[in-house]
Amino acid sequence: MAAKKIPHFVRDDTMTQVSGKLVNLRPAQPSRLAWATLALGLALGCRPAARTTAAELARLPWDSVLARAKGTTVVWRMWRGDPSINAFVDQWVAPRVKERHGITLSAVEGQGPEIVNQLVVEREARAPGSADLVWINGETFGNLRQEGLLDGPWAGSLPNARFVDSVSPIIRRDFEQDPAGYESPWGQVQFTLIYDSARTPDPPRTVAALASWILTHPGRFTHDQQFTGTTFLMTVFYALGGGVRNYQGGFDSLRYATGSAQVFHWLERHRAAFWRGGETYPPGVAELHRLFANREVDFSMSYNQNEALTKARQGVLPATARPLLLQDGTIANTHFVGIPFNAAHIAGAMVLANFLLSPEAQLEKQKPEVWADGTVLARNRLPPEWAARFARLSLDPRALASDSLAKYARPEVSPRYRERLSADWRARVRRVGQ
Amino acid sequence: MTEGSRSRPAVLAALALSALAPLALLLLASVGRDWFFPAPWPPAMTLESWGDAFRGGGRMAAALGTSLVLAVGTGLAGAAVGWPIGRALADLSGWARHLGASAAFLPVAAPPVALATGLHLSALTAGVAGTTGGVFLSHLVPATGYAALYFLGVFTLFDRRVEDEARTLGAGPRTVLWRVTMPMMRRQLGEAFLLGFLVSWAQVATTLVIGGGRVRTLPLEVFAYLQAGQDRYAATGALLLVIPALLMLGAVRFAVARAEATPL
Amino acid sequence: MTRSSRRGLLAALAVALPVLVGVGYSVLASVGLTGPGAAGGGSARLVAVLGEPVVWAGLAWSLWVAAASTALAAAGAVAVAALFRRGAGIDRMARLFAVLPLPIPHLAAAVAGLLLLGQSGLLARLLASLGLLADPGGMPALVYDRAGLGLILTLAWKEFAFLALVAFSVVATRGERLEEVARTLGAKPAAVFRRVTWPLLWRGILPAVVAAFVFVASTYEATAVLAPSDPLALPLLTLERYTDADLSRRGDAFALALLGMTVSLLAVAAHEWARSHWDRFEP
Repeated sequence: MAAKKIPHFVRDDTMTQVSGKLVNLRPAQPSRLAWATLALGLALGCRPAARTTAAELARLPWDSVLARAKGTTVVWRMWRGDPSINAFVDQWVAPRVKERHGITLSAVEGQGPEIVNQLVVEREARAPGSADLVWINGETFGNLRQEGLLDGPWAGSLPNARFVDSVSPIIRRDFEQDPAGYESPWGQVQFTLIYDSARTPDPPRTVAALASWILTHPGRFTHDQQFTGTTFLMTVFYALGGGVRNYQGGFDSLRYATGSAQVFHWLERHRAAFWRGGETYPPGVAELHRLFANREVDFSMSYNQNEALTKARQGVLPATARPLLLQDGTIANTHFVGIPFNAAHIAGAMVLANFLLSPEAQLEKQKPEVWADGTVLARNRLPPEWAARFARLSLDPRALASDSLAKYARPEVSPRYRERLSADWRARVRRVGQ
Repeated sequence: MTEGSRSRPAVLAALALSALAPLALLLLASVGRDWFFPAPWPPAMTLESWGDAFRGGGRMAAALGTSLVLAVGTGLAGAAVGWPIGRALADLSGWARHLGASAAFLPVAAPPVALATGLHLSALTAGVAGTTGGVFLSHLVPATGYAALYFLGVFTLFDRRVEDEARTLGAGPRTVLWRVTMPMMRRQLGEAFLLGFLVSWAQVATTLVIGGGRVRTLPLEVFAYLQAGQDRYAATGALLLVIPALLMLGAVRFAVARAEATPL
Repeated sequence: MTRSSRRGLLAALAVALPVLVGVGYSVLASVGLTGPGAAGGGSARLVAVLGEPVVWAGLAWSLWVAAASTALAAAGAVAVAALFRRGAGIDRMARLFAVLPLPIPHLAAAVAGLLLLGQSGLLARLLASLGLLADPGGMPALVYDRAGLGLILTLAWKEFAFLALVAFSVVATRGERLEEVARTLGAKPAAVFRRVTWPLLWRGILPAVVAAFVFVASTYEATAVLAPSDPLALPLLTLERYTDADLSRRGDAFALALLGMTVSLLAVAAHEWARSHWDRFEP
């Protein structure tokens, strides 16, 4: 890892350390070779005009930002796969920012790596940006910062930033990275397993209990190959390695080697009792939900503490599906919004980010029938009438109580751990049968 | 194959089942609620996903409209551009023909990652990325490739003597094209249109990358719902993909059949 | 070269230009000169990627799926075209049903395939309601399976419609007259089929078979829905690298794309060579 990218960099004051990675804060120069590619018969098009940066806007009075935002169309690139989230954004947020701030909100598809790849190609073609706000966190934030693709700092200047819970380690840091004003928080989620209370009335509640459950119920447990599955592996990684504390403070390859060896040993011991004998794994968490709903396996999982109930309400999961916390601790994280380096409507993006942080929007978003996404605001910082409303928020009695969620919540560590664990897991499972 | 005559009704039944059963299954999946193993039939039905698709500027309805505009445009333009290219390639020989055929084949053979990146860079440079026009052009590239290869095959077998005869009788090149060649090629034009229509209709990667998420087509909706495990919505979208495409197939067949006898 | 054919050639090159940009970019990205996480020139990446066993396992698996599904589809298309080549009502209906799946996008077909063939799919549920199956695990694995059976069946179903369409048109445009001639010359029906219809059919649909093979080998949508995690099909591996959390691995995707394209071009070249070889014996 350490050697990666170093030849490109000159150590100077524009470099910083983000989760053990050297990060160049200066926007990278478009590669000359990208030009050579374009020279394959293409004339060059538009160049970005001189623009006011987000950092400059952040120094202006808020009224002036509001004035600049008025009448603009803000393109927000986000995950668009959940009807409840889409409805919240399209039917609740959009009309309000239109009415109050004269902003037209256009939510478009794109998440994680797609956002990074899109911005890399846009920079290489020197084209104007296609999005003004992006929904990101963790490794995507790290990648965007590493490539100098985010504008900022600006997040601290939002009027509603004063309500944000800046004490919680899960909100203050994004996978141990300092957001440094380059992204603004807007929601918090926690990993849980999902079980069927009718099928498994007494589910295992620790990693060790789960392990013996797997052995006594062969073929009834698996995890997916993507982000949620890796989060499960990270949960096991924490539990077997003596807790999250052992992995905090940046990536440590020695600790990773010891911890991952334990995880792979654990998997090796249980693999034969996994679904399909551990030979194949569902591609994504959606497929895992389908296997769970149709009784092919007895557990699913989610990186949202309320998804079990939301999906049960939608009829995607059985009505008796419930979230399940592992008492070894389950991982929680915060998701953020950032402004790309080439955004066309920075002021509008900032006004939208501010609206997303408003007590009103945060409360609506947290309602179980809307999305049930956790708030990032601290109740003790809110005006009393809003604090009372959050307190009154009628929680689904079947949902996990917020104090037990908080009790077992563990922060993400450097995204490098996750990256490596996922890559090494893939390499291992694909050796089967060769 | 007289020995096969007795099996014909059975094969016909199998063909009908294989064509219709998946559609029936999608229809059930689009309305079935809490339809889990081992229930062979949905225990409850809901029209929620169909309602959401069309109610109040529903996303799927809008995406369906965009998909239709793109696919019809791509079909027409693909046939119109592919025709002269295919004809020219058929007239060429030697290296020029190989070069042209390889050029026409390139968009067909390029893997999605390379194709989408090339189209994306080109669209960004031309300033059309993120627009419906840019997505149209990006669909047109593979569609033209297919149409050009298709017409290359057609014109390789084409009997030019009819055109020569018309020319001897005093017809100009335009008259020959519109009054002689095109009427003879109605079926081929219809098939080339359909080819372009279907190429555009099925695009996912190019639309996502060149449209930058701003141009929403139906396959993108289906893909997003599928990735989110929203099977009812995905099945609804899949059916919305199937129905217009089947209608288009029928319409083209009908239009062509009115002019001439066809194998169908 | 006439003016119109020169213009046609130029038009073909113009259409291919954006694709050439993509191929050029892929070459640059696979040697680390551009793209996300580009870290300098050199063939190290290309060598490393081509040295990975997962790449070759994925390629072999994709070729297996493409060959199996195309062979199934081609056999079905030839059989149906031969069986229903006349003008009676039953022939027309059979031809209609055969091509009906043609406009169904691969994505929709894959969804239907999953809901039908999965271990808890409709087929399994019908067996369960007949009392032949107690739990989904008892159903043979047809999706996410290492042999790729569900994917092969789904793709074969889709390609069958396409190849059947081509086969019908081959029989309709050239078959009848030649069969007539053979019959007049006193050939028996079986001989007519063996000596006239069959050679005509398979030679006529060969280009379409090659096109279907090339398409299926690189198809992403249906594969993503139905394929197993090991071995990982080449198109899925390409996308996995393209979206890898580690930026420095994303360039691998372009090297893999070039590998996929090389295979496609080889398949087409083999077809062209074979064709020019046989054409010498054409009357």
